[in-house]
Amino acid sequence: MNRFMQEFTKGLWKEIPPFRLMLGLCPVLAVTKSAESGVGMGLAVLFVLTLSNMLISLVRNFIPSKVRIACFITISATLVVAVELLMQAYTYPLYLQLGIFVPLIVVNCIILGRAEAFAAKNPVHLAIADGLGIGLGFTMSLTFLGSIREILGAGTWFGHPVMWDGFQPFTIMVEAPGAFLCLGLTLAAMNYGTHRSIMKQSRENAGNTPSACGGCRACAMGRGSDND
Amino acid sequence: MSNSSNNDILLAISTPPFWHCGRTIRKNSLHTLAALAPAAVLALAHWGVSAMRVMALAVLTAMITEAVCQTLMKQKLSQDNGTAAITGLMLAFLLPASAPWWIVVIGAAAAIGIGRMAFGGYGANQVSAALVGWALVFVSFPVYMDPSSSLLGSSFADPLFKAKFFGGTAVADIPLSDLLLGNQLGGLGATQTGALFLGGMYLALMGVIRWEIPCSFLIGVLLSASALHLADASLYAGPFFHIFSGSTVLAAFFLATEDSCSPHRRLPMLLYGLTGGILVMLIRTYGIYTDGAPFAVMLINLLAPMFALIRSHPFGTAPRRKGKSAGEWRSRT
Repeated sequence: MNRFMQEFTKGLWKEIPPFRLMLGLCPVLAVTKSAESGVGMGLAVLFVLTLSNMLISLVRNFIPSKVRIACFITISATLVVAVELLMQAYTYPLYLQLGIFVPLIVVNCIILGRAEAFAAKNPVHLAIADGLGIGLGFTMSLTFLGSIREILGAGTWFGHPVMWDGFQPFTIMVEAPGAFLCLGLTLAAMNYGTHRSIMKQSRENAGNTPSACGGCRACAMGRGSDND
Repeated sequence: MSNSSNNDILLAISTPPFWHCGRTIRKNSLHTLAALAPAAVLALAHWGVSAMRVMALAVLTAMITEAVCQTLMKQKLSQDNGTAAITGLMLAFLLPASAPWWIVVIGAAAAIGIGRMAFGGYGANQVSAALVGWALVFVSFPVYMDPSSSLLGSSFADPLFKAKFFGGTAVADIPLSDLLLGNQLGGLGATQTGALFLGGMYLALMGVIRWEIPCSFLIGVLLSASALHLADASLYAGPFFHIFSGSTVLAAFFLATEDSCSPHRRLPMLLYGLTGGILVMLIRTYGIYTDGAPFAVMLINLLAPMFALIRSHPFGTAPRRKGKSAGEWRSRT
């Protein structure tokens, strides 16, 4: 159970896509025009990712390694079609909003990446934990980016006006450049935070174990990532 | 070994411009400000206090933003070298005199914050900082940025608007002197094309900017506009109309020549300018925007590293020729 929780929680912060795991950038940039479509896209990915991880982990011992990619794609494509039909049936407006990006989940790097890197090598319960964690992390990031872009670019949050009267929407935030700006600045902020904590850690470590070279940044970075 | 120096920077990293001939950034800035001054004076004459308001606000916001960013980034404060002021002033030149105060503030803060400091400071930016700020507000608030709709009281007309929607014949009777004297609607300073042209010539003669870039930029506009004009004079306005309307002159002399965003050898510079000039005409003729010059400059800024690869060789060496070994250290020929 401990291992399960560990695999689950790593997707929520330590390996949160797309900020830590730079995968699945296409939907991140394209569909985060509003918080709502961010949530919708995230949930679709969460669903596909968890089930594809589970299925791939179940059949991992039967798939010949030469054709594994084709098998992974087939499994995820089946699930994506299911999601697409479900969305068409129950959340039609959201389906229209996300458009081509729902079918494109098939070729989303997160699905294939997690299948190849994790599900194909680990037992079912861990694969499910990984899928849930990464999927939830992805949903959180998409909602976060979508919220920033919607609040600044349209003055609303989940469709409700949140800014003051006379607020002029900062339209560029809901256009394509706004996606890059938001993602870039968020990444910069997160890297800055990580860098600071590594520097702090290395300063403490260096105080205890003085090394011959004086412990420069290169070592500090390496040591920091080892301890992670 | 002492451990207190763990966080000291071991290697000094500096950013271009590297050229040195006794000139400083500060002196270059003063020359640039002097070159922009006539256009600023003419803008004041045309638009009065509202132009003053936009220019002062943009310069002030740019300098304050730079100071705040530099304090946060623990860099040395460098407001005295005037580069932030120039960025603010060039941004103001692109804005209409009627721009509300918050557009000016957002534009100037974005120009310095996102356009320059996010990349590390002066000389590290890929795209001209003033244009980043301009593009942000231009795309976000098109209604306030359109001089034809926000300066209704003005007796001038936007020549590019006319040329785009009513064809070349509609602007055929606009005398060139009107355009040169800034009797046109557009950015408050960018339209003072005569004054800017003189200022740009001064900068090129002083060696602050390289003559190749503005020259080839204007030639690019001239050639492509002439080709279009010859093809159908009733649809496309003449080449001199396009050079002296909108912000072509500002783009050629002041925006495209920013040191960190332009190549530095002769052939790349010529191609860089030429591409920019042709892009201006392509955007003006076939694009959705009336004035393509700022967008054209942003595009060629992004292409500048590609142009810089042409005949590239390490500084101080001669270019590689057939039959000679690469990277040979010789005096420059």
